[in-house]
Amino acid sequence: MVNVSSLSNAAPMDTSSATPVSRAFKVPARATDGEKADTLIEIENFDFYYGAKQALFDINLKLDDKRVTAFIGPSGCGKSTLLRCLNRMNDLIDGTSVKRGSVKIRNIDINTRDVDPIELRKRVGMVFQKSNPFPKSIYENVIYGLRIQGETNKAKLDEVVEKSLRGAALWDEVKDRLHESGLGLSGGQQQRLCIARTIAVSPEIILMDEPCSALDPIATAKVEELIHELKKEFTIIIVTHSMQQAARCSDKTAFFYMGKLIEYADTRMIFMNPSNPQTEAYVSGRFG
Amino acid sequence: MSSASITPPPPKPPVQPKPFVIHKERTRFFGLTLDETIRAFFGGNAFMAVVVLALITIFLFREGSAFFGQNRASITLYRTAGLEYVDYMRAQQEGHTALTRYLFDIRLRAVRHLTENEALSVAEANAKLAAFDEFAGRYSDTIEPVRGFVSDLTDVAVAIKEKYTINEDAKTERAQFLATGMTAEADAVKIAEIDFKAELAPLVGVTPMYVEAANGVATAINDVLATAPALPVPSLESRMTRFKELNREYLATFPETQRKLETWDYLKPVPALDTVTGFLFGKQWLTASFWQDWYGLVPLFVGSLMVSIIALFLAVPLGVGAAIYINQFAGLREQRIIKPAIEFISAIPSVVLGFFGIAVLGQALRALSQWEALSWVPGFPFSERLNALTAGCLLALIAVPTIFTLAEDALNNVPRSFKEASFALGASRMQTILRIIVPASLSGIVSAVLLGLGRVIGETMVVLLCAGNRIAIPDFTQGFTAFVQPVHTMTGIIAQEMGEVVRGEIHYRALFMVGLVLFFIALLINFLAQKIVRKYRISIG
Ligand SMILES: Nc1ncnc2c1ncn2[C@@H]1O[C@H](COP(=O)(O)OP(=O)(O)OP(=O)(O)O)[C@@H](O)[C@H]1O
Ligand SMILES: [Mg+2]
Repeated sequence: MVNVSSLSNAAPMDTSSATPVSRAFKVPARATDGEKADTLIEIENFDFYYGAKQALFDINLKLDDKRVTAFIGPSGCGKSTLLRCLNRMNDLIDGTSVKRGSVKIRNIDINTRDVDPIELRKRVGMVFQKSNPFPKSIYENVIYGLRIQGETNKAKLDEVVEKSLRGAALWDEVKDRLHESGLGLSGGQQQRLCIARTIAVSPEIILMDEPCSALDPIATAKVEELIHELKKEFTIIIVTHSMQQAARCSDKTAFFYMGKLIEYADTRMIFMNPSNPQTEAYVSGRFG
Repeated sequence: MSSASITPPPPKPPVQPKPFVIHKERTRFFGLTLDETIRAFFGGNAFMAVVVLALITIFLFREGSAFFGQNRASITLYRTAGLEYVDYMRAQQEGHTALTRYLFDIRLRAVRHLTENEALSVAEANAKLAAFDEFAGRYSDTIEPVRGFVSDLTDVAVAIKEKYTINEDAKTERAQFLATGMTAEADAVKIAEIDFKAELAPLVGVTPMYVEAANGVATAINDVLATAPALPVPSLESRMTRFKELNREYLATFPETQRKLETWDYLKPVPALDTVTGFLFGKQWLTASFWQDWYGLVPLFVGSLMVSIIALFLAVPLGVGAAIYINQFAGLREQRIIKPAIEFISAIPSVVLGFFGIAVLGQALRALSQWEALSWVPGFPFSERLNALTAGCLLALIAVPTIFTLAEDALNNVPRSFKEASFALGASRMQTILRIIVPASLSGIVSAVLLGLGRVIGETMVVLLCAGNRIAIPDFTQGFTAFVQPVHTMTGIIAQEMGEVVRGEIHYRALFMVGLVLFFIALLINFLAQKIVRKYRISIG
């Protein structure tokens, strides 16, 4: 039985049930399942603060290259915070600080003084929860990242636009209206435009913060399909509140609770056979 | 925690349905409910605002519109009394005066050259220029015959006009007597109908003689020019050539003047449209003159425009720059200091600013302009303490808070997500500002600037005190020096002259027309600003 009040009270979770209850979703097999992946991002003993308030507690996590990792957990547990630490978007918020630990991408600590966050963000792109195309044409939206890098070659830009829009599975829908405003697209198209804009600067990593939460099921399915395509080229980290989505899309899943990493394992393990009872309670929908 | 409880819930006792009461007694004021009263109150206020605006418009129109009729009468009198005729001759005389001034300018340059570059004393320089002076004297004398005609005929024309005015006054006086039933007094008022044709005879009669005299002048000028001496300063020869050229152009206008004089007809009607174009495009604003009053908007409009341009030129970078800084760079503490400080400027009474302009700024700017190291600045140095620049600087101060506040609002309205998206794509702060934030808020910024302009155009006290109040179109041939000349403005003229005019007479009405033009300019600016803002809301989605 779902007891809603148990979360809002932040009471210790129910751990009485050891046997898995019925599952509403399956974790499909994947082509990459058997292969061994390299580690791309390494987070060690990571503590993060908003002013005096600690948001992340001693996170240790190794994220795989060219794989999809899902971050799950109840609201306010720090998923977005951790995600935004990976491209230092939190720098934009006053008073944030990393008090301990490190985030290393390809063995480079991204929080040292000589790292330029602008260069970092060119390598680590981000897609936001609410689609946010610029009030510019579709074309200009896609090439924004290149424009600010000073690219002016028209042929090159055209090529990137087509490649990125194809990559975001949007090309066929917008190829005749490239010079119309990006705000004239539907919500799902706008979100794919934002993905196209992100892959246009050819990053290595794409961070997605609840990219489908504002989309209807059909648009969601399209984006999920896209994620499968994208992982051939990019490493993807996705925050989601949908267990189904995490199960469908990700190779590994990390479960967070109150700023702490509770469990991190293959998605199959997390959903079929979690070792931690809190994870078990969360994924089976008995809380959160 | 209830994971084990699968027992069915106990049967509930049947509940009595609550009575479905949805009626409520409302308190009423004058038969209206509270909601309706509040509505009526606000609706009434909004309605009042519209009514007041309409009344103001109607009032301005009513007071101003009679101007055109009166102006037409004034211009008609200008013609019938022969003033126009004399002005043709005067124009000829003034053309000559301007040329004489050109000669003096050459002499001034020659003296400066001789004393500075050739190290002569002033006396030696004057000696060297003796031949030139003798030539200039002869040149300036050539116009004497025309001058004689003009001064004689001026008196004749003024006398006719005077006679007519006295007669008109007498007519009104009699009408007043008659209106109050005092017939005896009314009969005592003497009215002598004016026979314009007879009165104008001495004027028109001289046309052949005048033409002859003018031809004589032309011959004399040609003769004098033929004997022009060589200048002791070779570098000024080109100016002498230019002088001769100007003379040729001047002499070429003689036949035209002659034609005008010969075909002049005192009864030719003045087209009604002339009074409108004469007001809107007239280059002279001349009042209380013994000769003829002119109500031309151009010098005032140009003055207003110039101070506004200077003000915006300074205030836009300041206001928008400050807004961008506060919105994008400043920390909380800075915001808390700078924002109120800028907004406080608008609390300074403009008369205090004007006082500051007279006492400090005008002086300081002039001193600055005379500083050697700044002589490269266009327009520097200048000698007038109160001029368009002084007024413009102070108006900029008035416009900055408006522009700053509205531009800051516009920047604030740019969704945070745009900024985040831009940063996430690897843009620097500057790139984000220039490529995303400013373009997204551009229409808001433009309307901020427009409203700043509205504020500046309507400002009165500062320009009245600091613009120098010279009613003349600045001389734009000298480039930027035009901006450091004294000007008068539309607001300034109303404030200055409204107190001295007689209610209902033409000057009074002319000032109302100026007010009406101001009103429409303000309306236009606000309309544009609103239109742009509306477009901007849509573009943000
Ligand atoms: N800008 C901020 N300033 C201060 N505290 C913040 C800020 N943003 C987030 N927090 C706090 O940090 C904690 C983690 O927030 P975060 O947004 O990472 O949660 P989340 O897991 O993404 O939640 P959700 O699923 O609702 O998006 C929360 O307690 C939140 O209140
Ligand atoms: Mg979040």
